[in-house]
Amino acid sequence: MHETEWDGSSGYPSQNTDLSVQFVSLLPVDGAAVSTLGKLLGSETISATSPLAARIDEMQFDLGEGPCWDAMRSFSPVIEPDLGDRWDRWPAFIDAIRSGGVTSIFAFPLHVGPLQIGAVDLFTQRRLELSADDTDRAARLAEKVSREVLRTALISATSADGLERPFSRRLVHQATGMVVSQLEVSAEDAELIIKGHAFAQGKSMMEIAQQVIDRNLNFRHLPVDGGDQ
Amino acid sequence: MTAEGREERLVSTFATLADALTTDYDVLDLLQLLVDTCAEVLNISEAGILLADSHGTLEVAASTSESNRLVEVMQLSAEAGPCIESFQSGRAISVPDIQQSPSRWQVFVTTALGEGFQSAYALPMRLRDTTIGTLNLMRTQLGTMDDRDVVAAQAFADVATIGILQHRALEDSGRLNAQLQIALDSRIVIEQAKGVVASDLDVPVEEAFVRIRTYARSHQLALREVAARIVTREIRLG
Repeated sequence: MHETEWDGSSGYPSQNTDLSVQFVSLLPVDGAAVSTLGKLLGSETISATSPLAARIDEMQFDLGEGPCWDAMRSFSPVIEPDLGDRWDRWPAFIDAIRSGGVTSIFAFPLHVGPLQIGAVDLFTQRRLELSADDTDRAARLAEKVSREVLRTALISATSADGLERPFSRRLVHQATGMVVSQLEVSAEDAELIIKGHAFAQGKSMMEIAQQVIDRNLNFRHLPVDGGDQ
Repeated sequence: MTAEGREERLVSTFATLADALTTDYDVLDLLQLLVDTCAEVLNISEAGILLADSHGTLEVAASTSESNRLVEVMQLSAEAGPCIESFQSGRAISVPDIQQSPSRWQVFVTTALGEGFQSAYALPMRLRDTTIGTLNLMRTQLGTMDDRDVVAAQAFADVATIGILQHRALEDSGRLNAQLQIALDSRIVIEQAKGVVASDLDVPVEEAFVRIRTYARSHQLALREVAARIVTREIRLG
């Protein structure tokens, strides 16, 4: 399903190529790739600065292991200044990208609230210790990119599913408020989380809203899905 | 309420409304005052005001209870029931016995009876040839409404209409759709705030609304403003 060499035609709007370029222009890294991973949006590289960057992600899709998966599953960055030391952690992955000459790799999770979307991989060929400031910057950019990716994916994926009815809209607004309280996020994020979860569950926003209002769904306790392929 | 008490209440309500209309006011607060007054002085159980959005869909803008069940009854009435009938014809629709309704109102009938309502009344909110919404009155007893109640209710509906149309008319070129949309958009943040408070305090959404209103009143703030600040977490109700 995934091409070994990325040809830049992932089916995403072309402006999304900018997604990965932002990381390279902001941070002292050689390449970056932004990928969705797991059940929610499927595993796909949606933006990469080079064929090598794309390949690093695609190897991880195929092998089911690597820094991207670990970052997404743990909701925290994976910082590896020297891959040579980490044979134990991802033996197959390190073996697969050996020819690329990659030394340091940094993966940041893409998520909106509890929704796991994917990860961004940053790498350098020389050894690099990412400074605290740079780590912070990358994490913040990843957060911004998370919303963008989810929003874009959901625009095409979800219909208005019954929201033309005022009563349904009202319930979705109430549920949005409840998610604001559950997760301490903005109303915009809360609505995005409801929408993303509805999509993941194959349900309408109205159905998810009703579950939230009935106290049958609390995103604070949402079982974190491992995001298996 | 005795006849005199009722007259007094009516007079003082209209004085309050007139006062509200001459000063800066929030449309939703005005509509809320109107439905609450309806419930207080008319022989009815619940009242709600529905406004047409830019697509002509009627939406509950204010109601005496924020229970989702009541709101749903009114919304169903706006899909196939007295509410839409009144809106389309521009006339008052009296339903003295909900059970005797036409079959095309089936969903409304079942839900309304399930909530204990026996009769209903829908009045148009009209200005000249334009109907902008309806005032809906729900009653738990059978029968037609008292004539004097009907007159008073229509007066309330007219005040609501003027209140909406006049609001910000000077600064906003007075476009009807824009005015209605402002009122309906305010609902979004109020619903969100109800959700925040319901979750924070672990109370039902209708109770959450009561808490928000109490806060707005005691701080002399517009409902909409309090709601917005609850959603951004600037205000946390304890």
